[in-house]
Amino acid sequence: MNGDLKDLWQVRNVAAGVLVLSEEQMRRAVGDASVEQLTALIETFSPARSTGPEWTRSFEPLVERLCAWCDEATMAELADVFRARGIPWMAVTNALSRENGECVRSALRQPAWARLPAFAIV
Amino acid sequence: MVLVQGSPTVGALRDEIQSVRYRQATTTFCRLVAENQRPLKEMIGEAIAAAAPYVQVPSHMMRLPTGEMRGVNYDHTILGWRGAIALMHELGGARGILPNVQAMWYVSQGLNVWEQVVCEFPGHYARDAEQCDRKFPGTDEHVNRFDGPAWNVPKIYFEDHAPIEDGSITDRLARMTWAIAEGDKAQAYGLFLGLAKEPEYRQHLKDAILFSGIVDLQDTIINRGGYQNIGHKGLRARALVDIADYLGWDNAHELFYTVVPDLACSPHLHGLWSEISNICRMELPDQAAIPKRSDKPLSERELDSLTETLLWGGPYDVNATVMQLFRRGAGILDVGDAVMVCFQRYLIDVLEHPNAFLHPTHALDYMNVVQSWTRDHDNPHQVKGVFLGARFMNDTIRSNAMFPRDPNFALEPRQVYRAWADDMAVDRLLPVLKQYVLAQDAPRSCALVDSYLERTSERRDLLDTITYAACHWQNDPHVMRNCASSLEEYRHNQTSRRDDIIRGFVKHQSRYVKRAPTHDCYQLYVDHFHPTDA
Repeated sequence: MNGDLKDLWQVRNVAAGVLVLSEEQMRRAVGDASVEQLTALIETFSPARSTGPEWTRSFEPLVERLCAWCDEATMAELADVFRARGIPWMAVTNALSRENGECVRSALRQPAWARLPAFAIV
Repeated sequence: MVLVQGSPTVGALRDEIQSVRYRQATTTFCRLVAENQRPLKEMIGEAIAAAAPYVQVPSHMMRLPTGEMRGVNYDHTILGWRGAIALMHELGGARGILPNVQAMWYVSQGLNVWEQVVCEFPGHYARDAEQCDRKFPGTDEHVNRFDGPAWNVPKIYFEDHAPIEDGSITDRLARMTWAIAEGDKAQAYGLFLGLAKEPEYRQHLKDAILFSGIVDLQDTIINRGGYQNIGHKGLRARALVDIADYLGWDNAHELFYTVVPDLACSPHLHGLWSEISNICRMELPDQAAIPKRSDKPLSERELDSLTETLLWGGPYDVNATVMQLFRRGAGILDVGDAVMVCFQRYLIDVLEHPNAFLHPTHALDYMNVVQSWTRDHDNPHQVKGVFLGARFMNDTIRSNAMFPRDPNFALEPRQVYRAWADDMAVDRLLPVLKQYVLAQDAPRSCALVDSYLERTSERRDLLDTITYAACHWQNDPHVMRNCASSLEEYRHNQTSRRDDIIRGFVKHQSRYVKRAPTHDCYQLYVDHFHPTDA
């Protein structure tokens, strides 16, 4: 049993390490992306383009990262793009709003011992 | 303000219903019962009869000039009555009349649905969903003409028919179920009328009509537009059985006219039924022998696993999980009860947007039909009903998840208010709960219920409080129907988590989108029936 637990914990640590690396690569990619590229990514969360609920459910983790990694001007530009599209995109517009960004950032935490990014949602 | 003159008559009630003067119709209904002492049962029968010719549609799909299709809503008048009749017995006394007044209030708003969706007749769909007044405004900009009265007579899309009585009972039952599945309304209705005359075969007829409704269910609502029925065939069948039992089968002709032809109305959705039949044939060859209850109900870990699958899994995960439970020896109602409680976690923990409750709670009501069919009848196909209900629930969850979450509709966690609720004396909790349900404050309502459930074993008054508060809201028969489903399933559920049904129930009734912000119908009820707690 102790051996099993140790093995399981080791697997978990490896998975966490992979997650750290993928988050770091995602951060760099988001930082290099233009508003048009970010818009194209967000458009994939439309019910008509989504590959399914599993994809759409990852919208909130993406918004959390955008709020943490993008500057305010980029976020405002993104929100304007979707605001112009009206009611069908209202949930997305609200998620990209400055108010939601402040709310998300205030909920993020980075304890001293943590190597993982400070995201609430995986 | 409704001007009341003269003595109320059933003739006036009929005219007011058919001309979509719902405030007057409800006033007349109340006066007939309260002032003239006409039996409530008789007046419900009169109201159903007045609406019956006008609730059919040619199809539940309408071809648009562009060649595309749109859905046409199902009649909800009869669903309101079924919920109201069930709740009348739950609430009791003058309080039990309230859901019936609400059902009456809705009846004339729900006629001629086909004409409503194309803005040619007033009512709930034309006024609210279709926003017809914006497209076709009247001469007075302060009056929404789609609120009624009607400017033309409602259309009849299916005339009443004579009973068909040739052939043996077995043969007629088989022909009726086939006619429903094939869409032959006249044959289905005529055979039903003939069979309904035979009291000794009534149990078989009830079983057959419930079966026909339950098996007609879409495989998915995701991006389907109107090509689905969100369980309405099963819900209508249940309404027929319950209301006929209440009115008496010999007094229920107009009820049959209301329900049976529509069971045969297009579209006919048997793809999911075929899929489940196929996998059950392969994996459960002795499915007809599976008991309703077993000595192997679900363990806590199995309940967790089923919850995970229903909320976060895909359709084939649901098939596999439910199949595994049956293969290891669980009974039909054991699994059905578990599906009902596990689904509640979606209502309790996940749902936030008021509009997002509609489809999942249709699935809950459908599952209630499946469960009641299993409890009250014996049919070799009942094990499949559990798969259908679980798949429907999972699909509505997945359908909602196709839309990004809107943070502007986020709810505070119920736990935030738990200490506040715990500080209240137990005997104060229910009056306060009623206030917060009426205020549509879900976090506080849910915290109050959590506190109550942990501090007392009393449940009847708790359920009564939520139900009565919910019935204050007008224009929406879904409310009564869901109350009836939740109360019935709570009463029968044998899992360790049955209190979750109450937690889901209060979340739904304190958050679900409301179709009117005012309580005019409730006030009408108070004026005529003088409940002591008004």
